[in-house]
Amino acid sequence: MDEMLSSSEMIVHLGPQHPMQPGPFRLNLRLKGETVMDADIELGFIHKGIEKILENKTYLQGIPIVDRICYLTAMTNEEAYVGAVEKLADIEVPERSQYIRVIIEELSRLQSHLLGTGEFGAFIGFVSMFMYTIREREDVLSLMDMVTGARITHTFLRFGGVQDDLPDGFEDKVRTVFIDLKQKIDMYETLFNSDEIYRTRCEGVGVLTADVAKNLGVSGPPLRATGVSFDIRKDEPYLVYNDLDFKVCTQKDGDIVARIVVRLNEMRESMYIIEQALDQIPDGPLFFEDSLYGRRTPVMRVPAGDVFHRVEDPRGEMGMYMVSDGSDKPYRAKVRGPVYPTMQALPPLLIGTTMADVAAIAGSMDGCTSEADR
Amino acid sequence: MNAQDIIDSLMKSFTGTISNAEVVSDIRVSAYLDKEREESVKTVCQYLKDELGFDHLSNETAVDYIQKGEIEVIYHIASYDHPVLLTLKVRLPRDAPVIESIVPVYWNANWYEREIYELFGVKYTNHPDLRQLILPDDMLGDWPLRKDYEGFPNRTANNLV
Repeated sequence: MDEMLSSSEMIVHLGPQHPMQPGPFRLNLRLKGETVMDADIELGFIHKGIEKILENKTYLQGIPIVDRICYLTAMTNEEAYVGAVEKLADIEVPERSQYIRVIIEELSRLQSHLLGTGEFGAFIGFVSMFMYTIREREDVLSLMDMVTGARITHTFLRFGGVQDDLPDGFEDKVRTVFIDLKQKIDMYETLFNSDEIYRTRCEGVGVLTADVAKNLGVSGPPLRATGVSFDIRKDEPYLVYNDLDFKVCTQKDGDIVARIVVRLNEMRESMYIIEQALDQIPDGPLFFEDSLYGRRTPVMRVPAGDVFHRVEDPRGEMGMYMVSDGSDKPYRAKVRGPVYPTMQALPPLLIGTTMADVAAIAGSMDGCTSEADR
Repeated sequence: MNAQDIIDSLMKSFTGTISNAEVVSDIRVSAYLDKEREESVKTVCQYLKDELGFDHLSNETAVDYIQKGEIEVIYHIASYDHPVLLTLKVRLPRDAPVIESIVPVYWNANWYEREIYELFGVKYTNHPDLRQLILPDDMLGDWPLRKDYEGFPNRTANNLV
């Protein structure tokens, strides 16, 4: 990578700081004219050592830490961590708490896709899209703020339940926001579809076929845009997703346009899930009475064993591998983020494209360096 | 294909190599691989991919069991077509952990193996590009996720002060 093969070639370093990037990483591109001949990613600029930190914190102290793996998907990170501990310690969660978790996690998917779509717009010079989505995202964040008390890093889940019940007036507020948001998502779709420049730049660009995507280990919207119906909520259902009606959004083309369409459709599907959950949510306690664990469990010993728990993050398959040795701290916690394989798949996707398409392709994958580095 | 069939098929094809195979639940199976024979990890993974439809490497990681003097490398292999997830574990001696790379079978193992190499010091043979991924160059050899890592102030931190 470091050696240029001829005088007509040039190496361009995108990053570690670049407006196109969702966090600091370095993309080294070897160019011949405008064409990308070789690409290579360097990580580590935002490595936080989360896995080592988790080994030195008690189980309860770990919850705010996993929030900070990636602020956009804090709720699904928590679900992976708390769900893994619940499996290890065999903790039951009451149905009402499970519904609340589903509602908040789908809201989290909604705001992540809103920012992902908007950021992608900003990367390709469609900055008004960013202005639109960031405005709507703030409404969704206010809904999450109402329940959890925080806009982005929530620290809301607890082992065997959730911290707080839904506040009064939450349901009405959600339905009001959704009436508006549904119209706005239709508007985004019209804006994208009617934009000649966007279609010229993105149709048929950065194409992943189903076989290649499977081979690269990609999951989430980039995979579903190729037509593979792979969703952990369906394949290995957790919480109450089995009782809820939703479909896995797929597209056939596998190009940038298909990825955006999948995200827009998933936002509609998330709103549908939340509305169902609000209709179906039963009354009941947030924690079981006889549960050893509750809101505050500063010292909590978890039986020895290991577990791999998977959830569907907005970006794809999120997993948490936890090993317990019977003490009050995890012996090992491995975060398997969805962005890690997605970013790894970026160089092969970029080779052969032109320099002008790099930002569009990278943006459409919706990466997050913070999560890849941990 | 259900979980029991997968275990039976594995046990039949790799008698003596696969041990402790068990069905954890309908969609989870786990097995240990005794790494005695050359290239056995890659062979098993190739078999899983070609014959049993395990075409998705979900996760690869390692755990340092310092008391037992072992480092365990763990593969979570899933499929895009069926819901069963296989946990395959390989025990390696802690003082000289060497294992065959599975990058030729699962392309996305590349970064996972580079990460395990820099954090645990597990050497992968036949890896196309074994160098550090997220740590700085001068931390290579510290193996920070091993249990006997000193933490602060360590060699690297002293250099900074």
